[in-house]
Order: sequence, then C-alpha cells, then structure tokens
Amino acid sequence: MERRRPRIIIGKLGLDGHTNGIRIVSNWLKDAGFEVIYMGIYNTPERIIKAALEEDVDLVGLSFLEGSHLFFAERLMELARSEGLDNVKFVFGGVIPPDDIPRLKAMGISEVFLPGTPREAIISSLRSLLGGTYGD
Amino acid sequence: MWDRSKDIDFDAYIRGERPPNYRTTSGIELKEFYTAEDAPSRDERPGQYPFTRGIHADMYRRRFWTRRQQTGYGSPRESNERMRLLLKEGQTGLNVNLDVPGELGLDADHPLAQGDIGLVGTSLSTLEDAEELFRDLPLDKISTTIILPPPSSAVLMALYLLLAERQGVSPSSLMGTIMNDSFNQLVGPTREAVLPFFPIDASVKIGVDVMEYCTRQIPKWNILNINAYNMRQTGIDAVQEGAFAMSLARDYIGLLLQRGLDIDEFAGRIAFFCDVQMDFLEEIAKIRAMRRLWAKMIREDFGAKETRSCLFKAAVQTSGLHLTAQQPLNNIARATIQTLAAVLAGVQSIHTTSYDEAYALPTEDAQKLSIRIQQIIGYETGLTKVVDPLGGAYVIEWLTDALEERMLALMRRIEDMGGFMKCYKDGWIENEINKARYEMSGRIERGEQVVVGVNAFRDEEEKLPISIFKVYSSEMQRARIEYVKRYKKERDQKKVENALSKLYEETKKGSNVLPPVMDAVLSRATLGEICDTLRRAYGFEIQV
Repeated sequence: MERRRPRIIIGKLGLDGHTNGIRIVSNWLKDAGFEVIYMGIYNTPERIIKAALEEDVDLVGLSFLEGSHLFFAERLMELARSEGLDNVKFVFGGVIPPDDIPRLKAMGISEVFLPGTPREAIISSLRSLLGGTYGD
Repeated sequence: MWDRSKDIDFDAYIRGERPPNYRTTSGIELKEFYTAEDAPSRDERPGQYPFTRGIHADMYRRRFWTRRQQTGYGSPRESNERMRLLLKEGQTGLNVNLDVPGELGLDADHPLAQGDIGLVGTSLSTLEDAEELFRDLPLDKISTTIILPPPSSAVLMALYLLLAERQGVSPSSLMGTIMNDSFNQLVGPTREAVLPFFPIDASVKIGVDVMEYCTRQIPKWNILNINAYNMRQTGIDAVQEGAFAMSLARDYIGLLLQRGLDIDEFAGRIAFFCDVQMDFLEEIAKIRAMRRLWAKMIREDFGAKETRSCLFKAAVQTSGLHLTAQQPLNNIARATIQTLAAVLAGVQSIHTTSYDEAYALPTEDAQKLSIRIQQIIGYETGLTKVVDPLGGAYVIEWLTDALEERMLALMRRIEDMGGFMKCYKDGWIENEINKARYEMSGRIERGEQVVVGVNAFRDEEEKLPISIFKVYSSEMQRARIEYVKRYKKERDQKKVENALSKLYEETKKGSNVLPPVMDAVLSRATLGEICDTLRRAYGFEIQV
C-alpha cells in the first residue's frame, strides 16, 4: 500500500506574530510534497497538540523570534507526553540562542533550525526524521 | 597530509567575480554608467521645496541625526537602567517599546500573555510602572519615541502626560513621537497579526483621537509615525515600502481633516519610520524620493501653505531582516554600510541594529557598538560637514526619479482600489506581502541575491564567536504577574470601576477617548483593563 504524503503542522505559539519564516518554510515544504497544515500565529500548546492528534500528523514545526521558545517547549512537550504523541516529531526554527538548543533537545525537540538554514537542509533533515518512511 | 590546494577553485580566479545581475533589489535595471543626460539639472538646494536634498539647509553641520536605539525588556526598572546606560554612551533620544502583551493591550496576568512577558519590550501596566521606566529622565530635555499602536498608544500617551505633570513639565515642552499606527507596529500590515486583538476601525478611530488631542494640546509632539520599517521587513521592496507608507499617511490625513483640523496644523507633525537595507544606492535614492513625494503630496494635493508641513521626517532603523545567524560578526559590516546609507540620505534619527540580533535581543556591548558605529560615521568620516554629499551624482538623481515614478504609480493603483486601509482590509496588502516573501526566499535560494555566509562563503565548521543576551527569565515573568495581581487588589476599587464605566460610556458615545483614559490611569486602572473596557464598548472579544 502506498504511504500518504508526510503531514506537518506549521505555526507559532504565544503572541509572537513574526511570520516570514513559517510562510516561507510552509511553501518550501508544500513544493517538496509535504502536506502542510498552516496554523498561523497566536496558538496555545493545547491547540497545537489537539490539532496534531486530530490531523494525525507526522511532524509539528514551530517558529520563534521573540525568545519564548523555552517557556513553550516545556508546556508543549509535557502535553505531547500526556497525550501519548510518541510518533510525532517536533521541530523548532527561528531566532534561538545556540546554548538553548541542547536544552530544547533534552525536552524532546528533535531539531532546531536557525535563520539562514538552506531549503534543502531543512527538507532532508525532516525526511531523515521520518526515518525514510516516505523515501525521496 | 594537509593539502589546501584541494579546497581552492583556481578556475574561479580565471573566471573572475561579478554581480549575479544588474538590477536593484526592487528590480530596476541599471545601466553601465550614467551621464548628465540621465540627471536633468534641477538647481534644487537642501532645505528648499520639494526637499529631495534634505529638509534642512545646514543638516548635520548644525546637529547630527538623533541616535535613538530602541530599548526595552523585562521590568520597567531593567529597561530604565538600559536606557540610562545608552544615554551615558552617547545615545541622544529614547525609543520605548512595550512587550507584545503590552502592544496588544494585555496585562501580565492575562492567560495569553504568560510566555511573552518582558521579552521584546518592557512589561508595563500601571502609572507606577511608567514612573519607574522614566525615573531620572527629564522629559523636557530628551525626546522620546513611544512605539505603540492604538489602543495601547492612548494609554501610554495618557501615562506620559501624567508623568510630565508630576515632573513639573508642561505639555508645551514635551518633545517626542507617538507611533499610533494601527496597521504595522506588530509585524507589518498582516491581518493575521493585527485583527484578532482589536477591531481595526476602532483602532484607527482611537489612534486619530490621540492625534487630534496631541495636535491641540502638545505643540511639539509628533502625532503619528508611519511604520514603513515593519512593512518592509516582511520582504517587500523599496518601491512598495515608499508607496505603502505614503498611501497609508494619505488615509490618515483624510481622517484628520474630517476632524476639522487644518493640514498645516498637523502635517508637520507626521513622521515616518523607514528601513535602510543593503542595496546602498537604491536605499539612499528611496529616502530622497520619499521626501519629494511627501512634499508634493502635502502641498499640491492637500494645499498646505507652511514649509514645515512639507518636511518628510525620517527615523531609520538598519535592517534586522538582513542580519545573519551565520558568521554574526559580518553583521557589523552590514549595519555600518546601512547606517552610512542613512547618513548619506540625510535622515533625522537612526537605530543601528546590533550584530547579535539574529540570536536574541542585543547585549549591552553590542548595543554600545551600534552607538559607536554612528559616532565613527558622525565624527571621523567628515560626511557630516557637507549637506547631501551625493546630490547631483548622476546615478543617485536618476534612481531618485525612477523610484519616485514607480512609487507614485503604485500609490495611484492603491488609491484606485480605495486607499491603503481598504486594501489592507480586503487582504490585497497581505497578498502582496506574501508574494514578496516567497520571491525573496526564492532569490536567496537561487543565488540571485547573495548573502555572504548564508548562500555563499559558508563556513560549515563555524563556532559562534559572540556571547548572547539572556532575556528569558521565569522569575521576572512570575514577578510581573504577581505585581499586577497585587496592584489590582490594593487600590480603591470603586474609583477604578467609576473611571472605567465612564470610559465605557464615552467610548460608546464616540467621544475622544484620551481624557477618560487619563482619568482611568489616574484612578489606578491598568493598561489591560483600559483596553478590555474599550473592547467591550466596541462589542469585541479577543479572537484567539
């Protein structure tokens, strides 16, 4: 049976409204064959987790510019665990200090993409996170 | 064996290097060279209509541009300390920003605010907070820009007036600017960012209330600062930046005229906040073209008689969008080049973005360096000794004309569609922005736009050579939440209720909201409570 296309939620948490990153990355991923669920801005962790469950996604990609990544990562990953979202991978992107990356990974964020990461690097990294399920 | 020759592409030496294309960032094709024929002599002087060459005849010979770094993070106390440090280092004007909850009219104890308290501006809710923020800063000696959209701009304006009163400073001595732009202060004119927290028509109405009040009561205060910078930072080009900003100003002017004000009462008190990016010649020409467009629009379309009304006052920030996380020290060169362009364009104030801002808010050292960049240009290069040093350069004059023509054409198009505000509400502006974003990312991906360290000359083994400012602190956020909760408990509740219900009634009646907002902050109502009252009066609920 043919596998469906990889499904990913793209959005932002809290009150940070900077959308250049998620708009551009959403387009790149659509072009690369991903099914993108664009959730835009002003989301709560609860809403993202609910959508991840309902939409049966493989990945959740969230972007930050204003420095709230640690605050939200903690709540988000707590909820993901309690909802049993073990098969969903979470990735972050945006303006994130390098020292925070190991902390985010310890909380369960699989990958962190800084500004200027090339399109191909993001796509191949997401594909490898999916464990080659979807091929190339 | 160490063999560097393997890494070196000697064939590239033979090929040589050249630009990937000969277009400006906004797509204007440049010729090989320009001659006098491309730049018809206008015999125009700085300080003379239409002010292409600058709004003052003596410009920086008499007074440098204002060094105005945007500041604010954490609590009002921390922000006050950073502002005073910057003033000690040679900053000459203040630029105050609230955190996003504050921009959206929420107190720290609002459930939606929690993660964003004090991150990209100061957390502020009360009159006591405002006193803390401006402690030991004489409001009659230093000019302040308050970068907030309505309705928060109304609350901060009220707080500022009350602070001045407590400092014994009369409104006639206050110098500064309230941004007051309903469309752009968050992240540019996107509907998704602006509309969920306040109804846009009410926001514009309250903004115009503030403008009208300030026009009549605070003679030296700038009543509106069109935020072209935030528009541009979405990825649009120089032509769009100029045309969008000018079209939006046009709509605001129409609304102020409807209030019965004369164009000469307020046009001289509208300012612009522009971007300056990497395309050196185009950015200089852009500012010159905007000066000319403004002067012509104000005199020819709106019939202004006073010279002051025709002066296009530009505050500039160098581009945050162009900062790279890769090889961050390269950003010092970028910021310097952009600051230089702003100076050559003859702007009124400059914020030089710091090199570490692709990672976080700037460190003290990085912000100090931003001030030093401006001081080096101001004191060491000699560029401040002559006005409009590039005036008459064939290519600059040609590009100024070309940009003016293109901006004017786009302004007419927007006008034909009903003006900027309508185009925003219809979603046309947001579509243009999204198109521009995709095109920008495409240009960088295809290498048509080279970004050193990102799509060329990358350093894969790079170690970060800079230290990063730590702003996030759960203790700071908790302290702010507790402070606001305590403040709301320990006050005369009856007084607060009365003031808020008066504000509610006056808002319903359509009165100018500034006087009842002043009463409300005096009675110790908070920023969030005031904005909530306004939302209720407009029958609006936060749509998040």
